[in-house]
Amino acid sequence: MEFNFNIVLSNLPTLMDGLKITLLSFTIALAIGFPLGLILCGMRLRKTGFAARLAQGYVAVFRAIPEMVMIFWMFYCLPPLIGFKLSGLTSGSLALGLVSGAYLCEIFRGAVQSVAKGQWEVSDALALPRRAVWLRVITPQAAKLAIPPFINHMTELLKGTTLLATIGVAELALRSYVLGAQTFRYFEFLTAIALIYFVVIFPVARFAEHIERKLAKATS
Amino acid sequence: MEIFAEMDFSAIWKYREALLWGLLTTLWMAFSAFFMAVPGGLLLAFGRLKGGWIVNIPIMAFVDLMRFTPLLVQAVWIHFALPIFTGASMTATQSGLLALTLHVSAYICDIIRSGITAVPRGQWEAAKALGLKPYVSFFRVILPQVWPLVLPALANVAVSTFKLTAILGILAVDDLMKVANRINNMVFRPIEVYTSVALIYLACGLILTVLAAWFERRYGSDRLDRIAVERPAPAVIVHNELSGG
Repeated sequence: MEFNFNIVLSNLPTLMDGLKITLLSFTIALAIGFPLGLILCGMRLRKTGFAARLAQGYVAVFRAIPEMVMIFWMFYCLPPLIGFKLSGLTSGSLALGLVSGAYLCEIFRGAVQSVAKGQWEVSDALALPRRAVWLRVITPQAAKLAIPPFINHMTELLKGTTLLATIGVAELALRSYVLGAQTFRYFEFLTAIALIYFVVIFPVARFAEHIERKLAKATS
Repeated sequence: MEIFAEMDFSAIWKYREALLWGLLTTLWMAFSAFFMAVPGGLLLAFGRLKGGWIVNIPIMAFVDLMRFTPLLVQAVWIHFALPIFTGASMTATQSGLLALTLHVSAYICDIIRSGITAVPRGQWEAAKALGLKPYVSFFRVILPQVWPLVLPALANVAVSTFKLTAILGILAVDDLMKVANRINNMVFRPIEVYTSVALIYLACGLILTVLAAWFERRYGSDRLDRIAVERPAPAVIVHNELSGG
């Protein structure tokens, strides 16, 4: 058995184009998921009321359905319902963004609730207005706590973009699979993209762990 | 909205048996992958903590590779690239199950490892002081304390294992997602097919989430605190036992 990784190198431009599409769909999903997560978190932090229950329902539904199913639904069912066509990239990224909004909501909520209770009481004792409490006291501390799980979720989201291959978006995974099928060099191409994903995700995930340890040390 | 008037779910109802089999395949695969991954993850975690660097480095590399590459890539790699290596070709179900098990066991390894390190060192020392053999102290002293700690995280992983099975459809494993694609190719009613399948997944996902939450309440580490609160230390009874015995 001989392996010829030169064939991967000679097709590297095609793979890099795929990586661009992967990163593009990641960015779209994040641009949808991040604000959505913030809004849902704000709704969920209210203890009662319609908004809180709506956000709770949204989170439960979007966390229970697999991303794969969501992507297929958005790709096949959304265009006829709204009346105009969506490309695979758009509908797939939209699906990923909506799902990631639910996860980010939980991450932000967890962070806000981990901020020590005393911080609220101190702010009340200082008679700070509600807005100042949120913007100056709670959010800065919660943001710091949210960084490690947020980065972890980003790596999950990046891995999730591979699912767009199933609806024919020519991102990294699909391109390498097609190239492997064309050249019968599955091993080389599939190993190469596994390594590309690893090289992109590994440093980011390690960085998150590093911050997590630092935070744990600072709080203990 | 004429689109709603045109909807016809009877086409799906015709294929209910196929969908049911797809669902059973999905559940069966998720269940077996998870319950193979728990001992697998335990073994990996044990290797990480107690093995020397010769054991440690390969396990670390394996866990990181599994966690930091997408399951889709792993599944395709195992199905198409691994046979070139090993010479033995596998069916789609075998490769899918293998990929899912390995992927999940890497996550479980990390969870159990942090659970084991969270058990106070004094427990190891106490076990040693009582003259317990290392494996006895691990299985009878440490591990029973690890399960309640890691249960919430494990329950989460169980739910995501179920969700991840949907990816295996790309390998022609006839799980619910793949069956839905096949039905759609025959009846050409994407809205009805994918909406029904999404609802089936939703129902199963919600049931699993509720089960996980129940399991956590019943057996999670909170329970120990709760029992301690509900039943204050029975000082008198202990005293009687001591004097009576």
